[in-house]
Amino acid sequence: MVGSVRRAQMMSESDKTHFGYQQVDEQDKAGLVAGVFDSVAGRYDLMNDLMSGGIHRVWKRFTIEVSAVRAGHRVLDIAGGTGDLAMKFSDLVGEEGEVVLADINDSMLRVGRDKLLNRGYGTNIEYVQADAESLPFPDDHFDVVSIAFGLRNVTHKEAALASMLRVLKSGGRLLILEFSKPGNPLLSRAYDTYSFNVLPTLGRLVAGDSDSYRYLAESIRMHPDQDTLKGMMEDVGFQRCEYYNMTGGIVALHRGFKP
Amino acid sequence: MVDPALHTAGVGALEAAINRALALDKLTAAQLGALDGKVFRLQCTQPRADFYLLPKPGRVQLKGFHDGAVTTAIRGTAADFAGLATADDPAAALINGNIELDGDSAPLMELQRILALLDLDWEAPLVSAFGDVAGHQLAQGLRGLFSWGRMAGDSVLRQLEEFIHEEARLAPPRAEVEDFYDDVDKLGQRVDRLAARIARLASKLQAN
Repeated sequence: MVGSVRRAQMMSESDKTHFGYQQVDEQDKAGLVAGVFDSVAGRYDLMNDLMSGGIHRVWKRFTIEVSAVRAGHRVLDIAGGTGDLAMKFSDLVGEEGEVVLADINDSMLRVGRDKLLNRGYGTNIEYVQADAESLPFPDDHFDVVSIAFGLRNVTHKEAALASMLRVLKSGGRLLILEFSKPGNPLLSRAYDTYSFNVLPTLGRLVAGDSDSYRYLAESIRMHPDQDTLKGMMEDVGFQRCEYYNMTGGIVALHRGFKP
Repeated sequence: MVDPALHTAGVGALEAAINRALALDKLTAAQLGALDGKVFRLQCTQPRADFYLLPKPGRVQLKGFHDGAVTTAIRGTAADFAGLATADDPAAALINGNIELDGDSAPLMELQRILALLDLDWEAPLVSAFGDVAGHQLAQGLRGLFSWGRMAGDSVLRQLEEFIHEEARLAPPRAEVEDFYDDVDKLGQRVDRLAARIARLASKLQAN
């Protein structure tokens, strides 16, 4: 987190970015996002289940299938949060493979590490506190890079995508699982009502923090839609980019390959 | 195209249910390990279902999406699959039946052989995964599928018949049908006798 704040400070001091629906100084966004995740880390898993009705497990299962990770692969899971994907990747890569769970937020990383250690995971997983915009890994290093429900919190998304491209091996794939735009207007309206009324109330009741969950709802609306994100991936150099809409487009999985 | 989330959820639930059932016959299920690394694609055209089955020691992995080589792909209707599964000679059924096969047929025959050895009660795990009605009906389907070629097949068919007649009331029980036919016969005979009496009375009236 400190790294990202420092990096943000190196950028133009006058630049503004969005934090949910608010406009904030770019250098403040990482700190504000950190505040959100510090607040919710302890009950993140429970909230994910409540908020999505458990469907986030299905979205992640599909992501694992599309990842085509196999024994011996080296996998980087960015914004790995509480380790759901890292656990599956760890099973798939086996002892000869390696999984790096990276998160910018130390609270989330600590909760994830404790959870994985308690479940007996350890030998092939490493934990790194890292900023997605400047990944501290060598070039051409990973077979697969994944980021699930993390990209929308990144201040400079193009910089993060370029950094992911750099650390991927040629032929390696990037997977972005993120909230997106529902295609059906009726579903879209129902989803809005849910996000701005039900979600913050759930957040207040379960995690004792409605503001953080209001931020999550707002940040989802500010995130680029399916085709915009696909275009951003192509602009930084990913090829054969495509996306899969899930649950009517509430969530989309984007995939692209490093040439 | 089916929403990947729905498809993945269905495939995941089926996988969990099958593995809970496989855990009940661990010795036979362990033989699935011999097929570890093989990938079977099952494409059912009617009703539509498309998934991949990857045998592992003691369990199976089901996937809705697979990006890699497929050992054997089979395509057909549920009736075609059932026909293959219940054939006395699956190899001949495969050659002569409607199922389209791509790839190596030997691992498929081996998979069938192992699954046929399983002696499982599919009911409890499927009911816990899908609820009473759907779980029970799936269990019946799987019992039929996995018990093909076994002497126990008769018992499965009898159970299925009992279920259709007694539990689901999809069709009336044989005894009820026979009683009904008896009643119809008796009614028919009484109508005939009545018709005969009327004819006799009518002829008497005419004579008078």
